[in-house]
Amino acid sequence: MKYCQRCVYPEVAVNLILDDEGVCSACRVFEEFETLTGDFWAERNKRFDELIEQYRNKDQSNYDCIIPVSGGKDSYFITYMIKVIYKLNPLLVTYHGNNYLPEGQENLNTMRKSFGVDHLVFGPSIQTLVKLNRLCFKRMGDMNWHAHCGIETYPIQAAVKLKIPLIVWGETAWDVSGMHSPDDYVEFSAKSRLEHSMRGFDWYDMIDAEEGIEARDLLWARYPSDDEIESVGVRGIYIGNFFKWDPNWHAPKMRDEYGFQMARQPFERTYRMFSNLDDMHENGIHDYLKYIKFGYGRASDHASKDIRTGYMTREQGIEMVRRYDHVKPRRDLERWLQYVGMTEEEFDRIADTFRDPRVWRKDETGKWVKDNIWEDASEG
Amino acid sequence: MLKNRLIPCLLLRNGLIVQSKQFKRWQVLGNPTTAVRRLSVWASDELIYLDISPDAVYDLKRDDLNHPNRGSLAEIIRDVAKYCFMPLTFGGGIRTIEDIRVRLGAGADKVSLNTQAVLTPTFVTEAAETFGSQCVVLSIDAAINGENRHEVKIQRGKEWTGLDPVEWAVEGERRGAGEILLNSIDRDGAMKGFDIGLIRRVVEAVSIPVIAIGGAGKWEDLAAALSEGRASAVSAANIFHYTEQSVLNAKKYLFSQGFNVRDPKLLEDKFRDKSSVHDPTLAWTDKRKCIG
Repeated sequence: MKYCQRCVYPEVAVNLILDDEGVCSACRVFEEFETLTGDFWAERNKRFDELIEQYRNKDQSNYDCIIPVSGGKDSYFITYMIKVIYKLNPLLVTYHGNNYLPEGQENLNTMRKSFGVDHLVFGPSIQTLVKLNRLCFKRMGDMNWHAHCGIETYPIQAAVKLKIPLIVWGETAWDVSGMHSPDDYVEFSAKSRLEHSMRGFDWYDMIDAEEGIEARDLLWARYPSDDEIESVGVRGIYIGNFFKWDPNWHAPKMRDEYGFQMARQPFERTYRMFSNLDDMHENGIHDYLKYIKFGYGRASDHASKDIRTGYMTREQGIEMVRRYDHVKPRRDLERWLQYVGMTEEEFDRIADTFRDPRVWRKDETGKWVKDNIWEDASEG
Repeated sequence: MLKNRLIPCLLLRNGLIVQSKQFKRWQVLGNPTTAVRRLSVWASDELIYLDISPDAVYDLKRDDLNHPNRGSLAEIIRDVAKYCFMPLTFGGGIRTIEDIRVRLGAGADKVSLNTQAVLTPTFVTEAAETFGSQCVVLSIDAAINGENRHEVKIQRGKEWTGLDPVEWAVEGERRGAGEILLNSIDRDGAMKGFDIGLIRRVVEAVSIPVIAIGGAGKWEDLAAALSEGRASAVSAANIFHYTEQSVLNAKKYLFSQGFNVRDPKLLEDKFRDKSSVHDPTLAWTDKRKCIG
C-alpha cells in the first residue's frame, strides 16, 4: 500500500489520487488554499457580500436563506456568520436521524436561543429509521445512508416548499479528498448528493418487501425535480468558498461565545472531541465499517487534517492512526445492535463481506491482515 | 445554417471521471455515468468522452457503490451510451480500426483520433474511408513550445511532435477528418479563457467544423470562442461540474446573447423528468444482493 508522503492517507482513500511526487490530492488542495492571500479572501468576502444582497428579503415577507444544521460546530459557525455578522434572517432546517449524542442534542436545541433564529426540525418515523439502518448496513455496509440522504434532501424540499431560494452549506465537502480547488467555486448539486453522499442509492432503491419499507415511508427522501428547483431558483452555496475554514479555531470560539459543547466522554475511535456529535455512530460503528472496507478510519481523516493545519506532526498522526483506526467500538456497537435487533455474530459476518480485496488479505491462520502505515513509515 | 453547438466533455482516467489541469494534475469527480445522466438533461448538443488513462486499468476503487464496476472500456462505453441522450464522441487510446469498431459497437457515434493520427497519418484516411468522415474527429492538443510557437503534442500531452497545429489540421481535413477538436494544453483547466488566436487561425485554414476546448472559466469565454475565435462549436470539461444545470445555464446565456444555438426552451419538460437522475426506471438493476 502506498501512503501520502505528507499526511496519513492510504492511496485507497475514497476519491483520492496520489500524484507522481507521492502527494495526495487533498494535500495539494490544502496547499492551494494555504497560498491564498489576504487579498484573495477579501475578494471572496466581497463576492459573498454581493451574493447575499441579491437574496436578502427586502420586504420581510420570507426568510433570507435556509441553513441546514445538525447542531455541530460547523452549524454554529455558519449561523454565526449569517445571523450575527451578516444580520440575515435564516431558517435553520434539521434532518433528525434519532441518533444524537445527548450533548449533540443539547447543542441543537441551544441554537435557537444562542442565535435567536427560527428552527424547523424534521424526523422520519423511528420504525422507518430502524429498518433503513438494517437494510443499508446489509446493502452497502453503511447504516447511516438515511442521514446522508436526509441531510441533503429535506432542506432542499423545504427550500422548494417555502420558496426560499438560497441554501447556505458549510465546508466544501470535497476537501476531504481534494476533489475541487478553491477556484472551482463549487455549488451544491443533485449529482454529488446522489453519487457521493448516497453512493448512488436513491429513495426508490430502499423500497423493500422484507423490511416492509414502502414508497410512502420515504417521502422525505425524494429530491425535488429540476423544474421545481428552477422555478424557485434554489441554489446551494458553500460558505467555505468565501471564508477561511479552520475547525480548530471555530470550535473553541463557538464554545466560549455561543454555548457549543464538546463531547463529554472520549470517542472510542478518534481523539477529536468536537466532531460528529449529531450522530453517535458516525465516529463509532459507521466509521468502523469504513475501516473494515478500506482499512482506514476517522482517526486517519482527523490526523490528516490536523497534520496539514500544523496541529500535529506526521509522526504524531501515524501514532493516532495506530491507536484508533482498528478499534472495534464496544459501547457504540452494542447500542446499535440493540437498536436494530441484530447479533454481533451476524454483524461481523455481514461486515466481513465488505472487506476490500485491494486492502485486506487473510494470513495463514485465516486472520484478516493489511499493510499499515507505521510499518511503512521508515521508508517514507 | 449549422447551429453553434455547446458540447460538454468528460474525462475518464482509470475508470473514474476526473478534472484535468494542464494535463498534469487530476482530481477525482466520480463514476463514469452519473455525470452523463445529468449532462443529458441540460440541453447539451453532444457529448465528448475522452479516455485519458495512462494504462488500461479501469476500477472504481471501491465496491460499495450502486454502480457496476467495469473492468473494460467497452463495458464502460455501453453504460455511458445507456444514459447518453445526445450524440457521443469517444476518444482516447484508439490505435487501430478495430479499436474504432469496438467503440462504435459499444454505442459511440463518432471517435476522436489523436496520437495514432500523428504517428501514422494514413490512419485518419483509413478511418474516414472505413466509417465515413462524419464519424472521424481529429483531436489536436497544442501547446506553446520553447520558441513561443504553437506545436502539437501527443501521448496525453507528454511528447512534442514538431507539427504546427494549423498545418496539421489542414492535413487532417485533406485526409478525411470530419471535424477538428482543438485543445490548448496551457489553457486546460486554467479557467483563463480559450486560446482565441490559435482557434481563429485553425478555423480560417480549414473548411470543416472546429470544436474549441480548453480554458473556459466563465460563460463569456464560451461566447468569445464562437464570436472572436469563430469556432463552430465550443466544449468544456471542468466548469460544467461546478454548478447545478451548468450546461443549460451556459446555453441560456449564449442564446440570450444572440448566438445561433439551439433554443434551450426546446428542452421538453417531460423528457427532462424522464431522463433525470431521479427516475427510478433508469436505476441500475444489477444491484449487490442483499445479504443476511
